[in-house]
Amino acid sequence: MPFISKIQRQSDYSAFPSHHPIVIDNGGSYFRIGWAGESDPRVIFRNIIQRPRHKITGETITVVGDHNPALLKYFDCTRTGPRSAFDNNVVYQFEIMEYILDFGFDRLGADQSRIDHPVLITECACNPVQSRSKMAELLFESYGVPSVAFGVDAAFSYKYNQQLGICNNNGLVICSGFNTMHVIPFINGEPVYEACNRTNVGGYHITDYLKQLLSLKYPHHISKLTWEKVEDLKMEHCYIATDYETEVQVFQKGGKEAEEKTRCWQLPWTPSFTDETAPSEEEIARKAAFKEKQGQRLREMAEAKRFNRINDLENEMRDLEILLQRLKHVEEDDVLSILAKTRYTTKLEVESAISKATQSLRKAKGESVESVEKTDPSAAEKYNLINVPDEDLTPEQLKQKRKQLFIKSTSEARQQRKQKQIEEELERERKRQLEEEKRRENPEQYLDELRSKHRDLSEKVDQRKRLKTNGNHNSSGGVGRGERLNSSQRERMRLLTTAAFDRGKGEDTFGMKDEDWQLYKLMSRDNDDDDDDDQPDLDEAELVRVTSRLREIDPTFIFKAESGSSTAEAPHFRPLTKEDFQIILGVERFRCPEILFHPNWIGVEQLGLDEMAGNSIQGLLDKGRCSEERITNSILLTGGSCLFPGMSERLEAGIRMIRPSGTPIRIIKALNPIFDAWRGASAYAAAMQFPQQTFSKMDYYEKGEEWLKKYQIRYTI
Amino acid sequence: MEPEVVEAELVLPTHMKFKKVQMYEKYPKGQARVRWKHLKQIIQAENYQNYPPNEPNYVNIESPPSMQPCKRICDITGFKVGLKQTWQKIQCGNSHVGVETGHQRG
Repeated sequence: MPFISKIQRQSDYSAFPSHHPIVIDNGGSYFRIGWAGESDPRVIFRNIIQRPRHKITGETITVVGDHNPALLKYFDCTRTGPRSAFDNNVVYQFEIMEYILDFGFDRLGADQSRIDHPVLITECACNPVQSRSKMAELLFESYGVPSVAFGVDAAFSYKYNQQLGICNNNGLVICSGFNTMHVIPFINGEPVYEACNRTNVGGYHITDYLKQLLSLKYPHHISKLTWEKVEDLKMEHCYIATDYETEVQVFQKGGKEAEEKTRCWQLPWTPSFTDETAPSEEEIARKAAFKEKQGQRLREMAEAKRFNRINDLENEMRDLEILLQRLKHVEEDDVLSILAKTRYTTKLEVESAISKATQSLRKAKGESVESVEKTDPSAAEKYNLINVPDEDLTPEQLKQKRKQLFIKSTSEARQQRKQKQIEEELERERKRQLEEEKRRENPEQYLDELRSKHRDLSEKVDQRKRLKTNGNHNSSGGVGRGERLNSSQRERMRLLTTAAFDRGKGEDTFGMKDEDWQLYKLMSRDNDDDDDDDQPDLDEAELVRVTSRLREIDPTFIFKAESGSSTAEAPHFRPLTKEDFQIILGVERFRCPEILFHPNWIGVEQLGLDEMAGNSIQGLLDKGRCSEERITNSILLTGGSCLFPGMSERLEAGIRMIRPSGTPIRIIKALNPIFDAWRGASAYAAAMQFPQQTFSKMDYYEKGEEWLKKYQIRYTI
Repeated sequence: MEPEVVEAELVLPTHMKFKKVQMYEKYPKGQARVRWKHLKQIIQAENYQNYPPNEPNYVNIESPPSMQPCKRICDITGFKVGLKQTWQKIQCGNSHVGVETGHQRG
C-alpha cells in the first residue's frame, strides 16, 4: 500500500500555547511534522525537493515533496531531478533542509513572526556533530525556535511499543529504513550505542535493484519503469522468502507453483490490425498510378511549352521576312528610317536574325540541325595575317594576328573533338552490333554473363557507397567536421596535425626547414579527387546500362534497388502481441528484498540483517551487560522496509542459526512500523520532563560544540 | 503562473512570515554559493581517531564485513550458480539463460 502524503494547511496553529512542542520525524523517505501528544502527524510529505524552471518566465521555483506530475508540465524539469538533503542518513545539505522546513512549518499553519515552540527533531544514530550543530543553528537562527531536542527515531519507536507493552525494558530494535538498517540493543530502557550496528542498505537500494533488473529484462519498456512506479511495484508485490534457495528451486523447476507465484503487469496496449499486407499492395499500385499521372502531366506541359515556342518563332520569322521584303523594294535612304523602328541597323543583321530563327525553329520541331559552317567563306580573309611574317606588320596588325591564331586553334580543336565524338559513336554502334550477334548465337550464355556482370558491378558500387558512409560514421568521434569530409580531406587534416605536433616540444617550428614544405606535395598527391570520383561514375554508368539490357531481355530479372539499406533491417516482422507488453515479476519478487540479508549482492560489503542482530547480541554479551534471553525475547521490527511479508519468519530463522540452540527468540513487528517513530517522539515530547531534555540557544552558544557532542537525551522519562 | 499551478500551491512561496532571515536574503544569488560538505568530508573533519575507540560514533557503529562466505547467484536470473566462473565479470549459471530477440523498440 503506497504511502499517502498529507499536505493540507492546518488552521489551528494559534490554538497551541507556546510551550507546546512541535515534533518532527526527519526521515530519509518521508518528513512528518505535528504537535506533541497527538497520535498522528499533521503533515506528511516526501523528503525531497525539485527546483525546475518555469518554461515561459524562466524563473526557478522550488517544489517540495511529491506532486501531481501533470502540473509539472509547465516547468522545465530536465536540468534538475529530485534532490534530498541526505547523504546516506545524515543531513548535509542544509539549504534543501531549509526549504523542507519552510514547507513543513508553512503547512502546519505557522503565521507568527517566529516558530515559538520547542522542537523535537529526529536524527540518525551517532549523528556527526557537524550535522547536528548545523541543524541546531538553522532552527535557532532562521526560525527563532526557543529550544531543541534531538533523538533517534528507532529508539522512539521502541519506547512507544514498550509503553504499549509489546516489548520489554531490555530488548533489541531492528529498524530498516530508507537508506540504512540499524540494530540497537536496549538495556533498562536506554539504547546502548556501544553494541549498535548499522548497514548502509535500505528501501532505496531495493527499489533501485528491482528497477535495474526489470530494465535489463525489458529494455524496450524502460520508459514505463520510473522510480516511483517501481517503488509501487515493490511495495505491492515483493516478499521475503523463508529460504532463498528452496524458493529459487521452485521457480527453476517451473510448474504450477511457480506460475502461482508469478505476477504479471499488463501495460496498456492496442492491437494493430492484421490486414497490413493487402493495403500495401494497393498502396504500391496507387502510388505507381499517381506517378504515371504526374509524368503524363509533365510531358503534356513540356509539349505545350514547345508548341508555344514554335509558334513564337514562326511569327518572328514571318515578321522578319516581311521586313526583308519591304527592304528589298525600297530605296537606300528609306532603309535606315524603316530599320530605325526595329532593333536592327543593317540588312545583314536582319538576314542573320532570320537564319538564326529558322535554325531554332528546326531544332524545336525536332528536325536535324545542319551544322552551318559560317567560318568557311571567311576563313581565308580571317586568317590572312597568320601567314605574314611578324616583321612586316604594325603593332595593331600584330594584335590582330595573335587573335586570329587563337581563333584558328580553337576552331581546329572544336573540329577535332567533333571528329572524336563521331568516331566514338561508330565504336558504340559496332559494339552493340557485336553484342546482338552474340546474343543471337547463344542466348543463355549471354544472359549469364550479363547477370554476373551486373552482380559484380552492383557489389562494387555498394561497397564504395558503404565505405564512404561507414568511413564517415566511424571517424566522427568527437569532431563533427570529420563526418562531412571525404577521405582525401581527412588525410589532409591528419597530415597537418601530425606536422603541427611532431616538431619538438612546445614551440611550433614548422617551416624552419625547407623539407617541411614537402608535406604539401604529399597532400596534393592524396588530394586527387578526380581519380577517386571518376571510377565510381564509370562503374555506375556501366551498371545502369547493364541493368537496362537485362530488363529488356530477361523476363526473370528483378532489379534490386537500394540493396545497401537491407543490411540494417532487423528480422522482426511478426506482429506485436499482448505478451510483448507484459512485465513479469517472478524471481525478482523475493530476490530484491533479499539484499537486506545479503548486501554483497549489490556490492556493499557489510553484514546482513540477521547477522547484524547476532553481532549486536554478541557485543552486549561480551561487555557482560545483560543475559541473552532477556534480549532475544523482545526483538522489535520497525521501519518502512520491514513491511515485506515473511520478514519475521526469515529473521527468526536467521537469528536462530547464529545464536546457541535453545535460546528463546521472539520477534515482534511494531504496531505501525511507519508511524511509530513519530508517535513515540510525540509521546515523549508530551511528557512532563521533556523540557529538561532540550537545550536552548543560550546553552548551545555558551557550551559549544564539545558539549553538543556529548548531548544525549534520556529516553525514560 | 498558470491558474491551476497557483491553485494547487505547487510552488514554495519565497517569503515566509515566521522566518527571521528569508531564503532570498541568505542566498542572494539564487543558489547557495556554499559548497556543502558531503558525508565523507564531514566524517573526515570529525577526527574520530582522536577520541577513545570504544566510544560509539558514526564510524564505529558501522557493521563489519560478513564472516560467512558470500552466497552467489546468477546475475541475470537469480538462480543458484552451478560452477564458479571467476574469469567472468558476471556470475552466470550454465545454459538457463535464454536471450529474448526480436523485440521492437517502442
